[in-house]
Amino acid sequence: MLVYLTRRILIMIPTLLLVSVICFVVIQLQPGSFADRYLEDPRFTAETVARLNAQLGLDRTPVEQYLRWMQGILTRLDFGFSFFANRPVTGIIGERLAWTVVVAGVTLAFAWLVAVPLGIVVALRKNGFTDAVASFVGYIGLAVPDFLVALLLVALVLAYGGTNVGGLFSAQYLGAPWSWAKLVDLLNHLWIPVLAIGTGGIAQIMRQMRANLLDVLHADYVRTAKAKGLHPRRVTYRHAVRTAINPLVSMAGLQLPELINGTIIASIVLNLPTIGPLLYTSLLNKDQYVAMTLLLFASLLLMIGNLLADLALAWVDPRIRYG
Amino acid sequence: MTRRTLVPLLVAVLAVGALAWAQPKVVSYPGLGMVAGTPGGTLTLALGDSPPRFFYYGEISSISQALTMQMFDTLIDFDLETYELVPGLAREWSVSDDGTVITLKLREGVTWHDGTPFTADDVVFTFDQIVTNPEARAGDAASFIFTVAGEPRPATFAAPDANTVVITLPTPAPAFLLFLRSFYIMPKHKLLPFSVEGGAQPADINNAWPTDVAPSEVVGTGAFMLREYVPGQVVRLVKNPTYWRFDEAGTRLPYLDGLTYLIVPGTDAQVAQFLAGNLDQLNITGGQFPDFKSRELAGAGFTVVAARALFGSPPHLAFNFNAADPELAAVFSNHEFRQAMEYAVDRMRVIDDVYNGLAEIPGTPTAPVNGAFYEDTTGLMRMYDLEAAAAALDALGLVDTNGNGVRNVSATRELEFTLTYGNDSAVWTDIATIVQNDFAEVGVKVNLQGIQSSQLLGTGLSGDYEAILVALGNQPDPELRKPIWQPGGSLYYWHRATQPAAQGERPNFDAMADWERRIYDVFETGSVNTDPVSRAANYREWQRLNATYVPVIMIAKPSNVAAVYDHVGNFVYNLGVIPGYNPVPHYFRR
Repeated sequence: MLVYLTRRILIMIPTLLLVSVICFVVIQLQPGSFADRYLEDPRFTAETVARLNAQLGLDRTPVEQYLRWMQGILTRLDFGFSFFANRPVTGIIGERLAWTVVVAGVTLAFAWLVAVPLGIVVALRKNGFTDAVASFVGYIGLAVPDFLVALLLVALVLAYGGTNVGGLFSAQYLGAPWSWAKLVDLLNHLWIPVLAIGTGGIAQIMRQMRANLLDVLHADYVRTAKAKGLHPRRVTYRHAVRTAINPLVSMAGLQLPELINGTIIASIVLNLPTIGPLLYTSLLNKDQYVAMTLLLFASLLLMIGNLLADLALAWVDPRIRYG
Repeated sequence: MTRRTLVPLLVAVLAVGALAWAQPKVVSYPGLGMVAGTPGGTLTLALGDSPPRFFYYGEISSISQALTMQMFDTLIDFDLETYELVPGLAREWSVSDDGTVITLKLREGVTWHDGTPFTADDVVFTFDQIVTNPEARAGDAASFIFTVAGEPRPATFAAPDANTVVITLPTPAPAFLLFLRSFYIMPKHKLLPFSVEGGAQPADINNAWPTDVAPSEVVGTGAFMLREYVPGQVVRLVKNPTYWRFDEAGTRLPYLDGLTYLIVPGTDAQVAQFLAGNLDQLNITGGQFPDFKSRELAGAGFTVVAARALFGSPPHLAFNFNAADPELAAVFSNHEFRQAMEYAVDRMRVIDDVYNGLAEIPGTPTAPVNGAFYEDTTGLMRMYDLEAAAAALDALGLVDTNGNGVRNVSATRELEFTLTYGNDSAVWTDIATIVQNDFAEVGVKVNLQGIQSSQLLGTGLSGDYEAILVALGNQPDPELRKPIWQPGGSLYYWHRATQPAAQGERPNFDAMADWERRIYDVFETGSVNTDPVSRAANYREWQRLNATYVPVIMIAKPSNVAAVYDHVGNFVYNLGVIPGYNPVPHYFRR
C-alpha cells in the first residue's frame, strides 16, 4: 500500500510539470499582452510599455519566464506575483480560498445528500411515477447551465422584492464580526449558489446511483440474499447499496477541482468572492502567474482527488487491493 | 488678560479669520439643480472589480481611480457645470507672461487624514518622486519632458515656502493647467520610504499601498477616508471630518457619513443589485434605458437621467491604410473610398436603435458639448445615402466585374474585408451588424470578426486587421489626445506608416498625405500656442480636415446615462474616472 501511495505521488510530479508547460504555452498563445488595456490611457507611452514589460519580466523570452517561475516554485515555494495587484499570487488566492471551500463544500454536500437517497428511491421504483418525475427534473437540471439557473433565481428573488441577489452577504454585514444575524444573512444568500450550482450535480449523481443500483439489484448475490429470506430493506441497504455506491466514490474524487473551475460562470453571475472569477479575470487580463498557479492548483486537486478516491475505494470495497 | 496680550491675540484671531475667509469657498451649482444638503447617511455605489491596489500611481485602473477621487485631491478642479478650471488644493495660480513659470498658492490649514499638515513639500514630492518617476506604472514621466531645439528638457518643481509651488517649464504649454488637474497629491510622510528620495529603487514606488495595507496608512486630503477593504467584496470609506470644502451655507462637505463600494463585476449582476436596492446609483448605457425607464415610470423609486457627455468614448470605424493586402491598402488609403463608405454608415439608425436615442451626431472628433473647441462639421459629413455611396464607389472604378453581387478591387480581388469589433458588448455587436448589412447593400462584403473589447486598440496598434470598430475617449483639450489624432502619433493606428522609425525620432512625413501633414502642424502649433483664440481656430481647422478627408468614420457620441434612487440628493452624473471632476462630496441622503 505504501509503495503504491509513493508511486502515485511520484507520478504526480512529472504530470504537474507537463501541465504547467501546457498551461504556459496556451497562455502565451493568447493574443495581446498585459499592457494592452492601458494603451488608450493618455499617460501610457511606448516607453511605459517597455518599462512595464521590464518590471514584469515580460521582456525575457517565454522559456526564460517559465524557467524563472518554476525556479521560484521549486526553490522557495514562490508562485510568482500578480501583475495586476503587484502582490504574491499566493496571498491573492489565499484571500479567496476560504469562501471557495465553504461555497463548494456546502454545494457538494447538498448535491450528494439529495442525490444519493433520490437515486436509491428511483432505482427501487424503476419506471414508476417517482422515477419519471425525478428523471425528468434531473435531465432538466443537467441540461440547463448553472449560470442560467442562477440568473433565473436572481430574477425570481427580484420579482418577489428580495435583496439577496448576489454575493454572500448584505452590504452591512461585509467585514462585520460574526453574529446570528450575519449567519442568517449568509444563509439567505447562500441558498442561491447552492441551488444553482448543485442542481446539475444532483442530476448527474442521481442518474449514476440509479444505474449502479439497478445493475446490482439484478446480481446473483442479491438474489441469494433474498432467497435466504432476508428482509428486503436489509437486502437493499446492506447488500445492494453498499456495492452500488462504490463507483460514486471515484466520482467524488473527480469533483475536487470543481472547487476552482467548475462554477466560474455561475460565480461571476452571482458575484461570489471565490477563486473561479479570479481565474477568469486573470486569463482575460493575461495576469499569467495567477492564471498558471490556479490551473496548476486545479490539476493538483484533480490528482489528489483521484488518489483519495482510489484509497477510499480500497477502504470501502474489500474486493479492491493495491500493492 | 492684559491689553498687551489681548491685542496680538485679536490680531491673530482676525488674521486667521481673514485667511479662512480669503480662501475661496466652494461655489454651489444651482444650474445643476444642487441645493444645500443635510449631513448624514451613507450611499452604496458599485465598483466593477476589486481594486488592484490603493496607490493611484501604481497601476492604471479605473477602479483605483474611482476610490482615489474620493480620498485624494488635485491642485486644480473642474467646475462641475462649465468644465472651467477652479481652485482645488491650490487656491490660486498665476502664469508668467512667457507662459513658462506657473506659481501656485496652496490652500492653508489643509491636513492629511492622519492630521499631518499638507504643504508644498507634498506637492513637489508627488511630481518629483512619483509622477515623473519613469518606473511608476501609472505615472506620467513622458508628459513632463519637453523637447526644446531637439533636446529633451524636464519641467522642474520647487517649493519656495510651505504654501507656494513653482513649476518651471522649458517651453510654454497652454494645456498645462488643464493637465495639472489630473494629478492627485500624495502624502510625502507616508510614501517617502518607497521613493528614490527615501532611498528606494525607482520601481519600488509601485509597491506602495497594496490591498492588504492597513487602511490608516492610506491617507489623503480628500472628502473620504479609507476604513476597510474586504477582498473581492466591499471597500468602505468614511467621511473626513476636517475636509476643507464647504457648501455655500457654510456646511462642511461631504454631507455623507460614508461611501460603501460594493464590488460587483458584470453588468447583469450590477443591474440586479441596483434593482434590489442594494446600490443607490448605477451608470447604465443607452441600450439599457428602455427597461430602466419603464421601471421608473412604474414607480420603482429611482430616476433615469441622461446628459450629453464631454468625456466618454465615441465609436469610430477605421480602415487600415497599411492593410497587409496591398490592393486593399491602396483602396483604404484613398480618401474618396472612405468618403464613399461614410455615406453607407447609418448614424441615425445607430443612435436610434443601438443607443435608444441617447446619443448624438459626433464631432470629428471633439465632443459637441465642448464649447471651447467643438467645430460643427455636420455639414461636411456625408450622411446616410446608399445611392450616393454606390455612385461614389462606381466613380472610383470599384464595380462588380464578375456579377457575384460584390464589387471588385481588381479582376482577382473582391471588395471584401474583415471588420474587427468587440463581441463582449451588445453595442459593438449591433453597430458591426448594421455596418455589415448596409455595406452589403452597396456591394461591399464585410466579414465580422469578434474579439474582446479590451483588445481592440491593441489589435489596431498591431496593424493586424483590415477594418475595425474602436472608441477613443474625448478630452476637454485636443492637446490631451495628441497621440491619437496627430499623424505619426503613437495611437494614430489607422495609418501606421506615418509613425517614426524609432521612438523619439521624427515621424515619417513622406508617408503623410498633404492633409495629414497639415493636421500634424496644427497639433505642433497647438502644443505651444498660448493665445486661446488662434489656438482654438487651429483645432477647428483640424476638425474640418477630419470631416473632409475622413481618417476614420466617427459614428455617434453616446450620452451619459445613469439610474439613481430618489433618496440621493444633488446627483450629478459622474463617469467615475475623470480626475478633477467629483460631485460626490455634494451628494446627500434625503
